[in-house]
Amino acid sequence: MRYDRDIKNAKAIDRSSSRKTRSIPDITSRNPSPPQLHPHNTPSMEATMVLLPGENVPTDHLPKPKKGKLTLGPGLQHTPPSTISATTAGSLQVDHRKAALWLEHAGGRYQPSVGDLVIAQVHHSSVDTFSCALTPHTSFAILGQLAFEGVSKKTRPQLKAGDVVYARVSKASKWEDVEIECFNSATGKAEGMGQLKGGMVFDVRPAFARRLMMGTDKEGVSKGGVVVLEEVGGKVKFEVAVGRNGKVWVDSGSVRETVMIGQLLRGADEGGWDVEGQRKAVKKALRDV
Amino acid sequence: MGPDISHHPLQGADGSVTFSSNLCSILAAANGPVEVQRRDELPEEAAVEVNIRPPSGVSGPRERWLESVVAAVLRSVLHLHMHPRTLVQITLQITKAPSSTLKGAIRDVALLPSLINASFLALLDGGLPLRSTVAAVFLAVVGMGEVREDPSEKELAGCKSVHGLAYNNHGDLLLSESSGSFDLAEWENIADQAEETCRAAMAPLDEDGVVMKGTMSSGPWLRQELTDKAQAAVAWREAT
Repeated sequence: MRYDRDIKNAKAIDRSSSRKTRSIPDITSRNPSPPQLHPHNTPSMEATMVLLPGENVPTDHLPKPKKGKLTLGPGLQHTPPSTISATTAGSLQVDHRKAALWLEHAGGRYQPSVGDLVIAQVHHSSVDTFSCALTPHTSFAILGQLAFEGVSKKTRPQLKAGDVVYARVSKASKWEDVEIECFNSATGKAEGMGQLKGGMVFDVRPAFARRLMMGTDKEGVSKGGVVVLEEVGGKVKFEVAVGRNGKVWVDSGSVRETVMIGQLLRGADEGGWDVEGQRKAVKKALRDV
Repeated sequence: MGPDISHHPLQGADGSVTFSSNLCSILAAANGPVEVQRRDELPEEAAVEVNIRPPSGVSGPRERWLESVVAAVLRSVLHLHMHPRTLVQITLQITKAPSSTLKGAIRDVALLPSLINASFLALLDGGLPLRSTVAAVFLAVVGMGEVREDPSEKELAGCKSVHGLAYNNHGDLLLSESSGSFDLAEWENIADQAEETCRAAMAPLDEDGVVMKGTMSSGPWLRQELTDKAQAAVAWREAT
């Protein structure tokens, strides 16, 4: 499932080479045959009940599926025929429009799923693939050397160990290696993916990265509750790319500005600042620059 | 209410927690699912590795035995088949152990429930997939057959037997270690009490937030901790 692209439009970003961050929902259909559930007439209210591991989702909280298919996100497991149980402790989030439900859990390691935009670092290259790391201490993800826009066998991309790329997960299963690609295989266009030159990569929690990628709603208010980048973009020129695997790449005019943006993001993530707190911290940091 | 818990004290580990009961304090860290050594790799499930470090000195056979018990319990709790050919690694540092005036066997049995509670909370903090919720409790039979839950060291001085038991939220018994002199009828009585305590630890909260049940159990501490943590994680949703 894919949403319209939401381009981050900070005032001073250099448009010609800006990386676009897309708001892609976290929900992937984890089951080969989703359950055929009895439709319910419940109002579309978001449930805030907290489930512990092993507990089943009560049937009155399940959304009414239009086509009879229910999509399960992270934190939920389907046991045929019709039991949905929690695999972690989190608050149950329900989207009645998309007939999807998931558990919201802060922290944890990123698990690759198809369609996610990630920032990968090349570790080494072999005959026709690059081996890239998405998260530390896990097996490498495979990036084909021809998985770029406009390359052929004669003109391959020149990536060395340590280079950073913005890619999309094309294959993720528990039985095989994860595969990523730097172009949209349906259209053949790069769409902002490819090598990220210069700049610096900062670590954030995957849940925070998802909030950054949520984009803005109709009034321009950030859906994820993070305004740091918009506020900073008013005064400082920078490029940013957000990877769902908990990495944010920032490139700005000077090292000081880059580090400042990275520290603001880390602070918003670990400090749990709300919108007002973020604005105050940004103002304070901009005074020194 | 209940034991003293602090969440995510370590930044380097995927999940971490410090857990303190009356007798001991544990710092637990969980990492996973991560890359596994070829020799430990299992084709259809994740491998579980537990490391226990004593508060002082070098770890020895006692720690190896504790590790084997904790690993066996965690294998029933984790969703091992979700991540085949990976490793789930748990490190437990005992920061405060029961005093050495107690017998060795009593100290070991006293440590196990705290080790299991700490590992479970660390795995949860790290977002690893779990099949059920586990609560463990340490009980001692003192004096004239009276059963004390999570006793202090003074109460343990003249105890007849000590028992460490763990139950999950489906009612299964996952851990049963005992030391001392007792008969089967006594053990059954203790097992019933332990099940009631563990169930109370995971009992659902009512509208006011906390349900205090009876004099023996320390209330739904596990449910309360996890609910607070989960609600803090979505605090940003209510703000926007």
